[in-house]
Amino acid sequence: MTTYLLRRLLFGIVTLLVITCFVYALARNMPGTPLTVQLGETDPSRKFNPEDLERMKRIYGLDKPWPVGYSQWVANVARGDFGRSISRKQPVITLIAERIGPTFLVSGTALLLAWLTAIPLGLYASARSGRPDERISSLLLYILYSFPTFVAALFLQIIFAVWLRGTSWELPLFGMTDLPADAPLFSRIADIARHAILPVTCQMYVGLAYDSRFIKANLEEAVRQDYIRTARAKGAGPWRVLFRHAFRNTLIPLVTLLGLSLPALIGGSVIIEQIFTWPGMGRLFFESIRERDYPTIMGLTLMFSALTLAGQLLADLLYCVVDPRVSVE
Amino acid sequence: MTTAAPTHSRGFWAEAWRRYCRKPLALTALAFVALLLLVAMFAPAIAGTKPVLCRYKGRLYAPCLAYFDRRLEPPIFAKDKFRGTYPKNLAEKDPQSWAIWPLVFQDPYRSVRDDEWPGRPANPARDEGRPSRINLFGTDQAGVDVFAKMVHGTTIALLVGFVSMGIEGTIGIVVGAVGGYFGGWIDMLTSRVTEIVMCVPTLVLILAIMALLEKPTIWHTMAIIGATGWTGIARLTRGEFLRLRQSEFVTAARSVGAGPVRIMLRHILPNALAPILVPITFGIASAILTESSLSFLGFGPPPPSASWGSILNDARSNLSMWWLVVFPGIAIFLTVLAYNLIGEGLQEATDPRLREARK
Repeated sequence: MTTYLLRRLLFGIVTLLVITCFVYALARNMPGTPLTVQLGETDPSRKFNPEDLERMKRIYGLDKPWPVGYSQWVANVARGDFGRSISRKQPVITLIAERIGPTFLVSGTALLLAWLTAIPLGLYASARSGRPDERISSLLLYILYSFPTFVAALFLQIIFAVWLRGTSWELPLFGMTDLPADAPLFSRIADIARHAILPVTCQMYVGLAYDSRFIKANLEEAVRQDYIRTARAKGAGPWRVLFRHAFRNTLIPLVTLLGLSLPALIGGSVIIEQIFTWPGMGRLFFESIRERDYPTIMGLTLMFSALTLAGQLLADLLYCVVDPRVSVE
Repeated sequence: MTTAAPTHSRGFWAEAWRRYCRKPLALTALAFVALLLLVAMFAPAIAGTKPVLCRYKGRLYAPCLAYFDRRLEPPIFAKDKFRGTYPKNLAEKDPQSWAIWPLVFQDPYRSVRDDEWPGRPANPARDEGRPSRINLFGTDQAGVDVFAKMVHGTTIALLVGFVSMGIEGTIGIVVGAVGGYFGGWIDMLTSRVTEIVMCVPTLVLILAIMALLEKPTIWHTMAIIGATGWTGIARLTRGEFLRLRQSEFVTAARSVGAGPVRIMLRHILPNALAPILVPITFGIASAILTESSLSFLGFGPPPPSASWGSILNDARSNLSMWWLVVFPGIAIFLTVLAYNLIGEGLQEATDPRLREARK
């Protein structure tokens, strides 16, 4: 077990090094630097004079070729220093810490709601497999599954923010809250919740459609096994067979799925956060690429890749926990 | 020796096709993709401002081909100063001329001007271009007809699906096949590379490369989607090859002296193709989604190429123009749905386990 974990960890570090090196090289070779992009776009007359630019470049370490810059970055990260954002003048860690809450609020709620609805739906679909009501609900879920998130987001925005404007059903179009920071706590919570409804819905329905289909497919496979026939033969009722015998055996692939959704949970969705201007991680990523903010790009890349790796490891480990037949060796 | 059976039993693919045909939804989806293919091929004849065929100064021309490639526009029209507007110029400069016009006289790249088509007003611009008899799907802020844009954007949607999936499929199958067939350290190497690519954040990669390129085109988008999306296929192929290389027919092939490439291509791949084909179909759907969401974020190919996602991007600045969302949104949705249904149908038609369950 320990050797297995060590091997995974070692390989994980190699993977992270390869990915970050690649992204660093790409980022540094993009046209424009954080200094020129930021100032040149807002006001051409405010461009630095050459000496100032050189001085700034030296301060941020942009005067060195990228391999040198990269090795410095790695050395700093090894010491726990992720650097300071160039365009926002803040430590990258602080930026990420600020954004993680809003992202988690949306993606965590969405994930929870998706699972809470997907499991009953999956059970229902396999219990009534082949009947007309199941056919219809499965078809609807399938349609939902193919519906692109950003299209759904735009549709919802049109319905709730344009057509229902002025009614009590109107929902806010952008942002996380309209209230100042010193507003009473309750009204702030209510306001944030109102802002979160549309992003959560968008993120939830995809997961719901996918998970319930996944659960149904696994249940249908489990129902065909011999032990189900045995359970039926000894007189267990249909719901007991479905819950105690079939569903418990489908937990294994379910747990794998849970592990793999870890990166999305913290990384959020770039597109949804961009559409609803939700101040989360995905939006930070998008903005940092546009601003050529190398330290932030690198910090986020490192975090996303590490989360993906951790999710895979978690899935493998959980797999061994729920299924005693499987061992990590 | 007994005589051979008089009836030939159906092959695997014929059997699978028969099974596929039993699913009406999957067949409808296939028909829809075929329809899209037709729309893409005949886009200039469906919506355009250049005649499909015309007779001018005694010769036949097909100026509509210019929509496929600018160089295909007959030079005589440039010489006679048509400047892209055909209806009046044709009549003025050669009264004897005749032309077959596209079904809808609208241009995907520019607004139609007042009286360009005799007696028809200019396209409404800004947010006034509601869908009407002339502009079926309305017009965008610049007054460009949305229907024409969408008809010409079909080519992009289909191309993205096929080209990026072609790249994905090729890389995935080669990497997976080599790893699964040879095993040992080669497998170790290919599996690790696959895992690394899996962890690369696709969006950063695409955005960074698009920023690096001088003139990003739709082909670059396709290449990047293809270069990052092959991991799932590689893993599946590897699994199939690991399983099949143990089978008797591979041992038999090896014993008659077939080389590794021949065994992989002629013996194992045909047997592994069915399960690989399913994620390929789903991959087409996700490639189309990726491209349209990139265009939607404003990182698509630059204008004038009109992808469905870029029409949605126009809508973001003015949500009251609902027609800019509804029509391309539904087009993207239906295309993705169609490919997903085809993949589903393929899966049920080719997976022996599912087949046994139905009996």
